[in-house]
Amino acid sequence: MTARRIVALSAGLGRPSSTRMLAERLGEATVAALREQGVDARLEIVELRDVAHPIVDAMLTGFPSGPLRDVVDAVAGADAVVAVSPVFTASYSGLFKSFVDVLDPDALRGVPVLLGATGGTVRHSLALDHALRPLFAYLRADVATTAVFAATDDWATGSAAGAATSSGDGREAGSGETRADGGPLGERIRRAGRELAATVAARTPRVTQDPFGDVPSFESLLG
Amino acid sequence: MQFGIFSVGDVTPDPTTGRVPDDTERVRSMLTIARHADEAGLDVFATGEHHNPPFVPSSPTTMLGYLAGVTKNIVLSTSTTLITTNDPVKIAEDYAMLQVIADGRTDLMMGRGNTGPVYPWFGKDIREGINLAIENYALLRRLWTEDVVDWEGKFRTPLQGFTSTPRPLDGVPPFVWHGSIRSPEIAEQAAYYGDGFFHNNIFWPIHHTRQMVRYYRQRFEHYGHGSADQAIVGLGGQVFMRANSQDAVREFRPYFDEAPVYGHGPSLEDFSAQTPLTVGSPQQVIDRYGAMREEVGDYQRQLFLMDHAGLPLKTVLEQIDILAEQVVPVLRREAEAARPAHVPAGPPSHADLVARAAGAAAAPVAPALAVTEEVAS
Repeated sequence: MTARRIVALSAGLGRPSSTRMLAERLGEATVAALREQGVDARLEIVELRDVAHPIVDAMLTGFPSGPLRDVVDAVAGADAVVAVSPVFTASYSGLFKSFVDVLDPDALRGVPVLLGATGGTVRHSLALDHALRPLFAYLRADVATTAVFAATDDWATGSAAGAATSSGDGREAGSGETRADGGPLGERIRRAGRELAATVAARTPRVTQDPFGDVPSFESLLG
Repeated sequence: MQFGIFSVGDVTPDPTTGRVPDDTERVRSMLTIARHADEAGLDVFATGEHHNPPFVPSSPTTMLGYLAGVTKNIVLSTSTTLITTNDPVKIAEDYAMLQVIADGRTDLMMGRGNTGPVYPWFGKDIREGINLAIENYALLRRLWTEDVVDWEGKFRTPLQGFTSTPRPLDGVPPFVWHGSIRSPEIAEQAAYYGDGFFHNNIFWPIHHTRQMVRYYRQRFEHYGHGSADQAIVGLGGQVFMRANSQDAVREFRPYFDEAPVYGHGPSLEDFSAQTPLTVGSPQQVIDRYGAMREEVGDYQRQLFLMDHAGLPLKTVLEQIDILAEQVVPVLRREAEAARPAHVPAGPPSHADLVARAAGAAAAPVAPALAVTEEVAS
Protein backbone atom coordinates (compact mmCIF):
# COMPACT_ATOMS: atom_id res chain seq x y z
CA MET A 1 0.00 0.00 0.00
CA THR A 2 1.34 3.44 -0.88
CA ALA A 3 2.37 5.69 1.96
CA ARG A 4 -0.03 8.46 2.85
CA ARG A 5 1.34 11.85 2.01
CA ILE A 6 1.25 14.43 4.80
CA VAL A 7 2.30 17.94 3.75
CA ALA A 8 3.15 20.37 6.54
CA LEU A 9 3.17 24.03 5.49
CA SER A 10 4.98 26.62 7.54
CA ALA A 11 4.62 30.32 6.85
CA GLY A 12 7.30 31.16 9.41
CA LEU A 13 9.85 33.73 8.37
CA GLY A 14 12.60 33.30 10.93
CA ARG A 15 15.52 30.89 10.83
CA PRO A 16 15.13 29.01 13.05
CA SER A 17 11.37 29.41 13.09
CA SER A 18 9.02 28.35 15.84
CA THR A 19 6.27 28.18 13.20
CA ARG A 20 8.29 25.63 11.27
CA MET A 21 8.95 23.78 14.50
CA LEU A 22 5.23 23.56 15.23
CA ALA A 23 4.44 22.45 11.67
CA GLU A 24 7.12 19.79 11.88
CA ARG A 25 5.90 18.49 15.25
CA LEU A 26 2.27 18.41 14.15
CA GLY A 27 3.31 16.55 11.03
CA GLU A 28 5.46 14.08 12.97
CA ALA A 29 2.67 13.51 15.52
CA THR A 30 0.29 12.72 12.66
CA VAL A 31 2.71 10.30 11.03
CA ALA A 32 3.42 8.64 14.40
CA ALA A 33 -0.29 8.23 15.13
CA LEU A 34 -0.86 6.77 11.68
CA ARG A 35 1.98 4.29 12.15
CA GLU A 36 0.44 3.19 15.45
CA GLN A 37 -2.58 2.20 13.38
CA GLY A 38 -0.39 0.40 10.89
CA VAL A 39 -0.78 3.08 8.22
CA ASP A 40 2.40 4.06 6.47
CA ALA A 41 2.82 7.80 6.02
CA ARG A 42 5.42 10.18 4.69
CA LEU A 43 5.89 13.75 5.89
CA GLU A 44 6.94 16.61 3.63
CA ILE A 45 7.68 19.92 5.28
CA VAL A 46 7.37 23.05 3.17
CA GLU A 47 8.61 26.43 4.26
CA LEU A 48 6.70 29.01 2.27
CA ARG A 49 9.56 31.42 2.84
CA ASP A 50 11.51 29.47 0.22
CA VAL A 51 8.87 30.19 -2.40
CA ALA A 52 7.94 33.70 -1.29
CA HIS A 53 9.08 35.33 -4.54
CA PRO A 54 7.42 32.75 -6.81
CA ILE A 55 4.19 33.28 -4.81
CA VAL A 56 4.22 36.98 -5.68
CA ASP A 57 5.15 36.14 -9.28
CA ALA A 58 2.23 33.73 -9.47
CA MET A 59 -0.16 36.43 -8.30
CA LEU A 60 1.10 38.67 -11.11
CA THR A 61 1.50 36.13 -13.91
CA GLY A 62 -1.31 33.71 -13.07
CA PHE A 63 0.74 30.53 -12.96
CA PRO A 64 3.03 28.98 -10.32
CA SER A 65 6.60 28.74 -11.53
CA GLY A 66 9.45 26.38 -10.74
CA PRO A 67 9.65 25.34 -7.09
CA LEU A 68 6.21 26.79 -6.29
CA ARG A 69 4.67 24.46 -8.83
CA ASP A 70 6.12 21.52 -6.93
CA VAL A 71 4.61 22.83 -3.68
CA VAL A 72 1.21 23.42 -5.27
CA ASP A 73 1.32 19.92 -6.74
CA ALA A 74 2.30 18.49 -3.35
CA VAL A 75 -0.73 20.12 -1.72
CA ALA A 76 -2.98 18.97 -4.54
CA GLY A 77 -1.78 15.41 -4.00
CA ALA A 78 -1.66 15.40 -0.18
CA ASP A 79 -3.70 13.00 1.93
CA ALA A 80 -3.61 15.60 4.68
CA VAL A 81 -2.24 19.09 5.14
CA VAL A 82 -0.84 20.69 8.27
CA ALA A 83 -1.07 24.46 7.85
CA VAL A 84 0.75 26.68 10.31
CA SER A 85 1.02 30.44 10.22
CA PRO A 86 2.51 32.97 12.57
CA VAL A 87 -0.08 35.45 13.80
CA PHE A 88 0.67 38.85 12.31
CA THR A 89 -1.53 41.81 13.22
CA ALA A 90 -4.34 39.63 14.54
CA SER A 91 -4.49 37.17 11.63
CA TYR A 92 -2.56 34.73 9.45
CA SER A 93 0.48 36.24 7.80
CA GLY A 94 0.34 37.79 4.35
CA LEU A 95 2.65 35.12 2.98
CA PHE A 96 0.38 32.38 4.29
CA LYS A 97 -2.73 33.94 2.73
CA SER A 98 -0.95 34.69 -0.53
CA PHE A 99 0.01 31.04 -0.84
CA VAL A 100 -3.56 29.96 -0.18
CA ASP A 101 -4.67 32.48 -2.80
CA VAL A 102 -2.54 30.94 -5.54
CA LEU A 103 -3.86 27.43 -4.84
CA ASP A 104 -6.60 26.11 -7.05
CA PRO A 105 -9.85 26.85 -5.17
CA ASP A 106 -10.63 23.11 -5.16
CA ALA A 107 -7.14 21.98 -4.12
CA LEU A 108 -8.17 21.40 -0.49
CA ARG A 109 -11.79 20.42 -0.99
CA GLY A 110 -12.52 17.57 1.41
CA VAL A 111 -8.86 17.26 2.38
CA PRO A 112 -8.13 16.66 6.10
CA VAL A 113 -6.40 19.77 7.44
CA LEU A 114 -4.82 20.45 10.80
CA LEU A 115 -4.38 24.10 11.71
CA GLY A 116 -1.64 25.64 13.78
CA ALA A 117 -0.49 29.12 14.65
CA THR A 118 2.29 30.75 16.61
CA GLY A 119 2.52 34.07 18.37
CA GLY A 120 4.28 36.01 21.05
CA THR A 121 1.57 35.52 23.64
CA VAL A 122 -1.47 33.33 24.06
CA ARG A 123 -3.68 36.40 23.66
CA HIS A 124 -3.42 35.74 19.88
CA SER A 125 -4.63 32.17 20.06
CA LEU A 126 -8.16 32.87 18.85
CA ALA A 127 -6.71 33.89 15.47
CA LEU A 128 -6.90 30.15 14.78
CA ASP A 129 -10.67 30.14 15.12
CA HIS A 130 -11.39 33.64 13.89
CA ALA A 131 -9.10 33.69 10.86
CA LEU A 132 -7.66 30.33 9.84
CA ARG A 133 -10.73 28.19 10.41
CA PRO A 134 -13.12 30.30 8.29
CA LEU A 135 -10.52 30.45 5.51
CA PHE A 136 -10.35 26.67 5.35
CA ALA A 137 -14.10 26.36 5.74
CA TYR A 138 -14.40 28.47 2.60
CA LEU A 139 -12.04 26.08 0.84
CA ARG A 140 -14.25 23.22 2.07
CA ALA A 141 -11.35 21.48 3.74
CA ASP A 142 -12.09 18.86 6.40
CA VAL A 143 -10.58 20.76 9.33
CA ALA A 144 -9.63 18.87 12.50
CA THR A 145 -11.47 19.96 15.63
CA THR A 146 -8.28 20.59 17.54
CA ALA A 147 -6.07 23.37 16.33
CA VAL A 148 -2.80 24.10 18.05
CA PHE A 149 -1.52 27.48 19.11
CA ALA A 150 2.02 27.83 20.41
CA ALA A 151 3.03 31.00 22.18
CA THR A 152 6.61 31.79 23.05
CA ASP A 153 6.01 30.61 26.62
CA ASP A 154 4.76 27.22 25.45
CA TRP A 155 8.17 26.38 24.06
CA ALA A 156 9.66 27.04 27.49
CA THR A 157 7.36 24.63 29.29
CA GLY A 158 9.56 21.60 29.13
CA SER A 159 9.40 18.01 30.12
CA ALA A 160 8.64 18.72 33.77
CA ALA A 161 5.14 19.83 32.88
CA GLY A 162 5.12 17.10 30.26
CA ALA A 163 5.57 14.48 32.91
CA ALA A 164 2.57 15.84 34.76
CA THR A 165 0.32 15.42 31.75
CA SER A 166 1.72 12.18 30.47
CA SER A 167 -0.70 10.02 32.39
CA GLY A 168 -3.59 11.92 30.89
CA ASP A 169 -2.05 11.45 27.49
CA GLY A 170 -1.63 7.75 28.00
CA ARG A 171 -5.21 7.34 29.12
CA GLU A 172 -6.54 9.18 26.11
CA ALA A 173 -4.39 7.47 23.52
CA GLY A 174 -4.65 4.04 25.01
CA SER A 175 -1.13 3.51 23.84
CA GLY A 176 1.89 2.32 25.69
CA GLU A 177 4.23 4.31 23.47
CA THR A 178 3.21 7.81 24.44
CA ARG A 179 5.93 10.41 24.49
CA ALA A 180 6.08 12.14 27.79
CA ASP A 181 7.95 15.24 26.65
CA GLY A 182 6.77 18.60 25.45
CA GLY A 183 4.55 19.71 28.28
CA PRO A 184 1.00 20.89 27.63
CA LEU A 185 1.99 21.95 24.11
CA GLY A 186 3.37 18.48 23.41
CA GLU A 187 0.12 17.03 24.63
CA ARG A 188 -1.96 19.28 22.40
CA ILE A 189 0.28 18.43 19.44
CA ARG A 190 -0.19 14.71 20.02
CA ARG A 191 -3.94 15.07 20.41
CA ALA A 192 -4.16 17.08 17.19
CA GLY A 193 -1.97 14.54 15.40
CA ARG A 194 -4.19 11.68 16.55
CA GLU A 195 -7.31 13.48 15.32
CA LEU A 196 -5.83 14.16 11.91
CA ALA A 197 -4.46 10.62 11.69
CA ALA A 198 -7.86 9.13 12.51
CA THR A 199 -9.45 11.11 9.66
CA VAL A 200 -6.71 10.13 7.22
CA ALA A 201 -6.76 6.46 8.22
CA ALA A 202 -10.51 6.26 7.64
CA ARG A 203 -10.07 7.31 4.03
CA THR A 204 -8.68 5.73 0.91
CA PRO A 205 -5.43 7.28 -0.34
CA ARG A 206 -5.94 10.43 -2.37
CA VAL A 207 -5.85 10.02 -6.11
CA THR A 208 -4.53 13.01 -8.03
CA GLN A 209 -7.25 14.35 -10.27
CA ASP A 210 -6.74 14.38 -14.02
CA PRO A 211 -7.53 18.00 -14.98
CA PHE A 212 -9.18 16.71 -18.14
CA GLY A 213 -10.90 13.80 -16.44
CA ASP A 214 -14.24 15.47 -15.82
CA VAL A 215 -14.67 17.59 -18.93
CA PRO A 216 -18.19 16.95 -20.13
CA SER A 217 -18.50 15.70 -23.68
CA PHE A 218 -19.60 18.30 -26.17
CA GLU A 219 -22.93 16.58 -26.71
CA SER A 220 -23.79 17.23 -23.08
CA LEU A 221 -22.42 20.78 -23.27
CA LEU A 222 -24.71 21.45 -26.22
CA GLY A 223 -27.59 20.24 -24.07
CA MET B 1 3.18 26.31 -41.68
CA GLN B 2 1.94 29.84 -41.22
CA PHE B 3 3.80 32.52 -39.33
CA GLY B 4 2.25 35.81 -38.42
CA ILE B 5 1.66 38.41 -35.78
CA PHE B 6 -1.18 39.20 -33.45
CA SER B 7 -1.91 42.41 -31.66
CA VAL B 8 -3.73 43.14 -28.44
CA GLY B 9 -4.00 46.79 -29.45
CA ASP B 10 -2.98 48.13 -26.05
CA VAL B 11 -2.09 51.75 -25.49
CA THR B 12 0.92 51.50 -23.20
CA PRO B 13 3.35 54.29 -22.32
CA ASP B 14 6.88 53.78 -23.60
CA PRO B 15 8.65 53.29 -20.26
CA THR B 16 11.92 54.65 -21.61
CA THR B 17 10.44 57.97 -22.71
CA GLY B 18 7.06 58.20 -20.96
CA ARG B 19 5.44 58.89 -24.31
CA VAL B 20 1.86 57.63 -24.73
CA PRO B 21 0.26 57.41 -28.16
CA ASP B 22 -3.35 58.56 -28.36
CA ASP B 23 -6.04 56.19 -29.61
CA THR B 24 -5.90 57.52 -33.17
CA GLU B 25 -2.16 57.06 -33.36
CA ARG B 26 -2.41 53.56 -31.93
CA VAL B 27 -5.09 52.46 -34.40
CA ARG B 28 -3.00 53.84 -37.27
CA SER B 29 0.07 52.06 -35.90
CA MET B 30 -1.83 48.80 -36.03
CA LEU B 31 -2.70 49.46 -39.67
CA THR B 32 0.93 50.27 -40.46
CA ILE B 33 2.10 47.14 -38.66
CA ALA B 34 -0.35 44.94 -40.55
CA ARG B 35 0.62 46.42 -43.93
CA HIS B 36 4.28 46.05 -43.06
CA ALA B 37 3.76 42.41 -42.08
CA ASP B 38 2.10 41.79 -45.46
CA GLU B 39 4.93 43.46 -47.36
CA ALA B 40 7.52 41.55 -45.31
CA GLY B 41 5.90 38.28 -46.34
CA LEU B 42 4.34 37.14 -43.06
CA ASP B 43 1.28 34.94 -43.42
CA VAL B 44 -1.18 36.25 -40.84
CA PHE B 45 -2.23 39.43 -39.09
CA ALA B 46 -4.72 39.04 -36.26
CA THR B 47 -6.24 41.74 -34.10
CA GLY B 48 -7.74 41.40 -30.67
CA GLU B 49 -11.16 42.74 -29.73
CA HIS B 50 -11.51 44.89 -26.64
CA HIS B 51 -14.11 47.29 -25.37
CA ASN B 52 -12.25 49.18 -22.71
CA PRO B 53 -9.20 51.40 -22.36
CA PRO B 54 -6.26 51.01 -22.67
CA PHE B 55 -7.19 48.92 -25.72
CA VAL B 56 -8.27 50.40 -29.07
CA PRO B 57 -9.48 47.58 -31.36
CA SER B 58 -13.20 47.54 -30.55
CA SER B 59 -14.26 47.07 -34.15
CA PRO B 60 -12.12 44.38 -35.79
CA THR B 61 -14.00 43.99 -39.07
CA THR B 62 -13.77 47.73 -39.78
CA MET B 63 -10.01 47.48 -39.35
CA LEU B 64 -9.65 44.19 -41.23
CA GLY B 65 -11.96 45.38 -44.02
CA TYR B 66 -9.66 48.34 -44.64
CA LEU B 67 -6.62 46.06 -44.48
CA ALA B 68 -8.22 43.71 -46.98
CA GLY B 69 -8.11 46.60 -49.46
CA VAL B 70 -4.52 47.66 -48.85
CA THR B 71 -2.77 44.30 -48.36
CA LYS B 72 -2.09 41.59 -50.91
CA ASN B 73 -1.37 38.19 -49.43
CA ILE B 74 -1.65 38.22 -45.68
CA VAL B 75 -4.50 36.32 -44.03
CA LEU B 76 -6.58 38.66 -41.87
CA SER B 77 -7.78 37.16 -38.63
CA THR B 78 -8.78 37.90 -35.05
CA SER B 79 -7.33 37.08 -31.66
CA THR B 80 -10.02 36.86 -30.53
CA THR B 81 -13.59 37.60 -31.61
CA LEU B 82 -15.78 37.66 -28.53
CA ILE B 83 -18.26 34.86 -29.06
CA THR B 84 -19.72 35.48 -25.61
CA THR B 85 -20.73 39.13 -25.67
CA ASN B 86 -21.20 39.76 -29.40
CA ASP B 87 -24.51 38.86 -30.94
CA PRO B 88 -23.81 35.78 -33.07
CA VAL B 89 -26.07 37.25 -35.75
CA LYS B 90 -23.82 40.29 -36.00
CA ILE B 91 -20.71 38.10 -36.08
CA ALA B 92 -22.23 36.06 -38.91
CA GLU B 93 -22.96 39.23 -40.89
CA ASP B 94 -19.72 41.10 -40.15
CA TYR B 95 -17.37 38.24 -40.89
CA ALA B 96 -19.22 37.08 -43.98
CA MET B 97 -18.98 40.68 -45.21
CA LEU B 98 -15.26 40.72 -44.41
CA GLN B 99 -14.77 37.39 -46.12
CA VAL B 100 -16.43 38.66 -49.29
CA ILE B 101 -14.48 41.94 -49.24
CA ALA B 102 -11.18 40.13 -48.58
CA ASP B 103 -12.01 37.56 -51.24
CA GLY B 104 -11.59 34.73 -48.76
CA ARG B 105 -8.28 35.93 -47.33
CA THR B 106 -9.63 35.76 -43.80
CA ASP B 107 -10.39 33.49 -40.90
CA LEU B 108 -11.27 34.21 -37.28
CA MET B 109 -10.70 33.00 -33.77
CA MET B 110 -13.43 32.69 -31.18
CA GLY B 111 -12.66 33.61 -27.61
CA ARG B 112 -14.44 34.45 -24.41
CA GLY B 113 -12.39 37.51 -23.56
CA ASN B 114 -10.48 38.11 -20.40
CA THR B 115 -12.21 41.20 -19.07
CA GLY B 116 -14.95 40.42 -16.57
CA PRO B 117 -16.82 43.76 -16.79
CA VAL B 118 -17.29 43.43 -20.55
CA TYR B 119 -20.09 40.92 -19.94
CA PRO B 120 -22.48 43.26 -18.12
CA TRP B 121 -21.64 46.07 -20.56
CA PHE B 122 -23.18 43.92 -23.25
CA GLY B 123 -25.98 42.60 -21.07
CA LYS B 124 -24.42 39.20 -20.43
CA ASP B 125 -23.52 37.21 -17.34
CA ILE B 126 -19.89 36.14 -17.00
CA ARG B 127 -20.92 33.02 -15.09
CA GLU B 128 -22.50 31.86 -18.35
CA GLY B 129 -19.24 32.39 -20.29
CA ILE B 130 -18.82 28.80 -21.46
CA ASN B 131 -22.52 28.34 -22.15
CA LEU B 132 -22.63 31.58 -24.16
CA ALA B 133 -19.62 30.42 -26.19
CA ILE B 134 -21.34 27.13 -26.92
CA GLU B 135 -24.82 28.38 -27.78
CA ASN B 136 -23.66 31.43 -29.73
CA TYR B 137 -21.22 29.47 -31.83
CA ALA B 138 -23.76 26.76 -32.60
CA LEU B 139 -26.09 29.50 -33.88
CA LEU B 140 -23.29 31.25 -35.80
CA ARG B 141 -22.52 28.06 -37.70
CA ARG B 142 -26.15 27.60 -38.63
CA LEU B 143 -26.40 31.20 -39.82
CA TRP B 144 -23.45 30.61 -42.14
CA THR B 145 -24.39 27.17 -43.40
CA GLU B 146 -28.20 27.39 -43.62
CA ASP B 147 -29.88 30.00 -45.80
CA VAL B 148 -32.98 30.24 -43.63
CA VAL B 149 -32.75 29.70 -39.89
CA ASP B 150 -35.44 29.07 -37.30
CA TRP B 151 -33.81 29.15 -33.92
CA GLU B 152 -34.56 29.41 -30.25
CA GLY B 153 -32.04 29.38 -27.39
CA LYS B 154 -31.33 30.64 -23.90
CA PHE B 155 -29.38 33.81 -24.50
CA ARG B 156 -30.88 35.59 -27.49
CA THR B 157 -34.27 36.43 -28.89
CA PRO B 158 -35.55 33.65 -31.15
CA LEU B 159 -35.18 33.82 -34.92
CA GLN B 160 -37.92 32.89 -37.38
CA GLY B 161 -37.06 32.50 -41.04
CA PHE B 162 -33.91 34.58 -40.60
CA THR B 163 -31.30 34.87 -43.33
CA SER B 164 -27.90 36.32 -42.52
CA THR B 165 -26.44 38.34 -45.39
CA PRO B 166 -24.21 38.47 -47.29
CA ARG B 167 -24.10 34.71 -47.66
CA PRO B 168 -20.55 33.40 -47.14
CA LEU B 169 -18.21 33.61 -50.12
CA ASP B 170 -18.74 30.65 -52.47
CA GLY B 171 -21.16 29.24 -49.89
CA VAL B 172 -18.28 28.36 -47.57
CA PRO B 173 -17.90 29.98 -44.14
CA PRO B 174 -14.48 31.25 -43.04
CA PHE B 175 -12.29 28.82 -41.13
CA VAL B 176 -12.73 29.16 -37.39
CA TRP B 177 -10.25 28.76 -34.55
CA HIS B 178 -11.17 28.56 -30.90
CA GLY B 179 -8.77 30.24 -28.54
CA SER B 180 -8.52 29.25 -24.92
CA ILE B 181 -5.87 29.20 -22.27
CA ARG B 182 -7.36 27.23 -19.43
CA SER B 183 -10.76 25.83 -20.40
CA PRO B 184 -10.78 22.28 -21.72
CA GLU B 185 -14.43 22.82 -22.70
CA ILE B 186 -13.25 25.14 -25.48
CA ALA B 187 -10.69 22.60 -26.70
CA GLU B 188 -13.59 20.15 -26.66
CA GLN B 189 -15.69 22.57 -28.72
CA ALA B 190 -12.94 23.04 -31.30
CA ALA B 191 -12.47 19.27 -31.53
CA TYR B 192 -16.19 18.59 -31.85
CA TYR B 193 -16.53 20.83 -34.90
CA GLY B 194 -13.16 19.91 -36.39
CA ASP B 195 -12.17 23.59 -36.08
CA GLY B 196 -8.72 24.88 -35.19
CA PHE B 197 -7.50 25.24 -31.61
CA PHE B 198 -5.26 28.12 -30.69
CA HIS B 199 -3.51 28.04 -27.36
CA ASN B 200 -2.43 31.53 -26.48
CA ASN B 201 0.50 30.39 -24.42
CA ILE B 202 2.43 33.66 -24.26
CA PHE B 203 2.02 33.91 -20.49
CA TRP B 204 1.98 30.18 -19.77
CA PRO B 205 4.47 27.39 -19.21
CA ILE B 206 4.84 24.89 -22.05
CA HIS B 207 3.74 21.92 -19.93
CA HIS B 208 0.30 23.51 -19.68
CA THR B 209 0.18 24.19 -23.42
CA ARG B 210 1.22 20.61 -24.12
CA GLN B 211 -1.64 19.24 -21.98
CA MET B 212 -4.29 21.44 -23.59
CA VAL B 213 -3.13 20.69 -27.13
CA ARG B 214 -2.89 16.97 -26.44
CA TYR B 215 -6.43 16.99 -25.11
CA TYR B 216 -7.71 18.85 -28.19
CA ARG B 217 -5.90 16.45 -30.51
CA GLN B 218 -7.34 13.38 -28.77
CA ARG B 219 -10.87 14.78 -28.94
CA PHE B 220 -10.43 15.84 -32.59
CA GLU B 221 -9.69 12.23 -33.40
CA HIS B 222 -12.52 11.02 -31.17
CA TYR B 223 -15.02 13.09 -33.17
CA GLY B 224 -13.81 11.54 -36.41
CA HIS B 225 -12.21 14.51 -38.13
CA GLY B 226 -8.94 12.71 -38.73
CA SER B 227 -6.06 11.43 -36.67
CA ALA B 228 -4.88 13.41 -33.65
CA ASP B 229 -1.81 14.67 -35.48
CA GLN B 230 -4.01 16.12 -38.23
CA ALA B 231 -5.81 18.48 -35.87
CA ILE B 232 -5.25 22.17 -36.59
CA VAL B 233 -3.18 23.78 -33.87
CA GLY B 234 -1.96 27.33 -33.38
CA LEU B 235 0.33 28.81 -30.74
CA GLY B 236 1.21 32.26 -29.56
CA GLY B 237 4.68 33.58 -29.00
CA GLN B 238 6.63 36.58 -27.89
CA VAL B 239 10.09 37.57 -29.03
CA PHE B 240 12.48 40.48 -29.11
CA MET B 241 15.56 40.20 -31.29
CA ARG B 242 18.79 41.96 -32.06
CA ALA B 243 21.79 40.56 -33.93
CA ASN B 244 23.63 40.45 -30.63
CA SER B 245 21.59 38.79 -27.87
CA GLN B 246 22.98 41.05 -25.12
CA ASP B 247 21.73 44.06 -27.08
CA ALA B 248 18.27 42.51 -27.28
CA VAL B 249 18.16 41.94 -23.52
CA ARG B 250 19.47 45.41 -22.74
CA GLU B 251 16.97 47.10 -25.04
CA PHE B 252 13.94 45.02 -24.07
CA ARG B 253 14.43 44.80 -20.29
CA PRO B 254 12.94 48.22 -19.44
CA TYR B 255 9.86 47.31 -21.49
CA PHE B 256 9.63 43.93 -19.83
CA ASP B 257 10.02 45.35 -16.33
CA GLU B 258 7.09 47.73 -16.86
CA ALA B 259 4.92 45.53 -19.07
CA PRO B 260 1.22 45.64 -18.19
CA VAL B 261 0.76 41.92 -17.61
CA TYR B 262 3.92 40.62 -15.95
CA GLY B 263 5.77 43.83 -15.08
CA HIS B 264 7.09 44.19 -11.54
CA GLY B 265 6.83 40.42 -11.19
CA PRO B 266 9.32 37.77 -12.27
CA SER B 267 12.64 38.71 -13.80
CA LEU B 268 13.04 38.70 -17.57
CA GLU B 269 15.23 35.62 -17.19
CA ASP B 270 12.71 33.72 -15.01
CA PHE B 271 9.78 34.61 -17.23
CA SER B 272 11.71 33.62 -20.35
CA ALA B 273 12.47 30.25 -18.80
CA GLN B 274 8.81 29.68 -17.89
CA THR B 275 7.06 31.00 -21.01
CA PRO B 276 7.77 31.22 -24.76
CA LEU B 277 9.17 34.75 -24.34
CA THR B 278 12.52 34.75 -26.09
CA VAL B 279 14.76 37.79 -25.99
CA GLY B 280 18.00 37.36 -27.88
CA SER B 281 19.45 36.72 -31.30
CA PRO B 282 17.39 35.50 -34.27
CA GLN B 283 19.13 32.15 -33.91
CA GLN B 284 17.91 31.84 -30.30
CA VAL B 285 14.37 32.46 -31.50
CA ILE B 286 14.81 29.84 -34.22
CA ASP B 287 16.09 27.31 -31.68
CA ARG B 288 13.28 27.96 -29.22
CA TYR B 289 10.37 28.00 -31.66
CA GLY B 290 11.77 25.26 -33.85
CA ALA B 291 11.54 23.01 -30.80
CA MET B 292 7.86 23.79 -30.09
CA ARG B 293 6.77 20.94 -32.36
CA GLU B 294 8.50 18.55 -29.97
CA GLU B 295 6.06 19.70 -27.28
CA VAL B 296 2.77 20.00 -29.18
CA GLY B 297 3.36 18.07 -32.41
CA ASP B 298 3.51 19.51 -35.92
CA TYR B 299 1.33 22.59 -35.86
CA GLN B 300 -0.10 24.93 -38.41
CA ARG B 301 0.08 28.50 -37.18
CA GLN B 302 2.53 30.43 -35.05
CA LEU B 303 1.59 33.99 -34.12
CA PHE B 304 3.95 36.42 -32.44
CA LEU B 305 3.02 39.35 -30.25
CA MET B 306 5.26 42.19 -31.44
CA ASP B 307 3.56 45.51 -30.67
CA HIS B 308 3.22 45.57 -26.92
CA ALA B 309 4.69 46.88 -23.68
CA GLY B 310 4.95 50.37 -25.17
CA LEU B 311 7.54 49.52 -27.84
CA PRO B 312 7.76 52.36 -30.38
CA LEU B 313 6.35 51.75 -33.85
CA LYS B 314 9.76 52.01 -35.48
CA THR B 315 11.09 49.22 -33.24
CA VAL B 316 8.06 47.04 -33.94
CA LEU B 317 8.57 47.41 -37.69
CA GLU B 318 12.26 46.49 -37.30
CA GLN B 319 11.26 43.43 -35.29
CA ILE B 320 8.84 42.37 -38.02
CA ASP B 321 11.67 42.66 -40.56
CA ILE B 322 14.04 40.55 -38.47
CA LEU B 323 11.28 37.98 -37.95
CA ALA B 324 10.34 37.84 -41.61
CA GLU B 325 13.87 37.90 -43.02
CA GLN B 326 15.95 35.90 -40.58
CA VAL B 327 13.64 33.72 -38.52
CA VAL B 328 10.55 32.68 -40.43
CA PRO B 329 12.29 31.33 -43.57
CA VAL B 330 14.37 28.97 -41.41
CA LEU B 331 11.46 27.92 -39.18
CA ARG B 332 9.27 27.37 -42.24
CA ARG B 333 11.89 25.21 -43.92
CA GLU B 334 12.51 23.18 -40.75
CA ALA B 335 8.79 22.69 -40.09
CA GLU B 336 8.17 21.63 -43.66
CA ALA B 337 11.06 19.15 -43.56
CA ALA B 338 9.84 17.61 -40.32
CA ARG B 339 6.14 17.45 -41.15
CA PRO B 340 4.76 14.01 -42.12
CA ALA B 341 2.89 14.05 -45.43
CA HIS B 342 -0.51 13.32 -43.89
CA VAL B 343 -0.33 16.32 -41.53
CA PRO B 344 -1.76 19.56 -42.96
CA ALA B 345 0.88 22.20 -43.65
CA GLY B 346 -1.45 24.99 -42.61
CA PRO B 347 -5.04 25.63 -41.64
CA PRO B 348 -7.42 25.26 -44.58
CA SER B 349 -7.49 28.29 -46.87
CA HIS B 350 -10.70 29.48 -48.50
CA ALA B 351 -9.78 27.54 -51.65
CA ASP B 352 -9.21 24.40 -49.56
CA LEU B 353 -12.61 24.80 -47.93
CA VAL B 354 -14.31 25.32 -51.29
CA ALA B 355 -12.62 22.18 -52.63
CA ARG B 356 -13.58 20.25 -49.49
CA ALA B 357 -17.21 21.36 -49.82
CA ALA B 358 -17.26 20.31 -53.46
CA GLY B 359 -15.79 16.94 -52.50
CA ALA B 360 -18.34 16.51 -49.73
CA ALA B 361 -21.17 17.33 -52.15
CA ALA B 362 -19.87 14.69 -54.55
CA ALA B 363 -19.49 12.11 -51.78
CA PRO B 364 -22.02 13.00 -49.10
CA VAL B 365 -20.96 10.24 -46.72
CA ALA B 366 -17.40 11.46 -46.20
CA PRO B 367 -16.54 10.06 -42.78
CA ALA B 368 -15.84 13.32 -40.93
CA LEU B 369 -19.06 14.91 -42.12
CA ALA B 370 -21.14 11.82 -41.37
CA VAL B 371 -19.94 11.67 -37.77
CA THR B 372 -20.56 15.37 -37.21
CA GLU B 373 -24.12 15.15 -38.40
CA GLU B 374 -24.86 12.02 -36.48
CA VAL B 375 -23.65 13.63 -33.27
CA ALA B 376 -25.44 16.89 -33.90
CA SER B 377 -28.84 15.34 -34.59
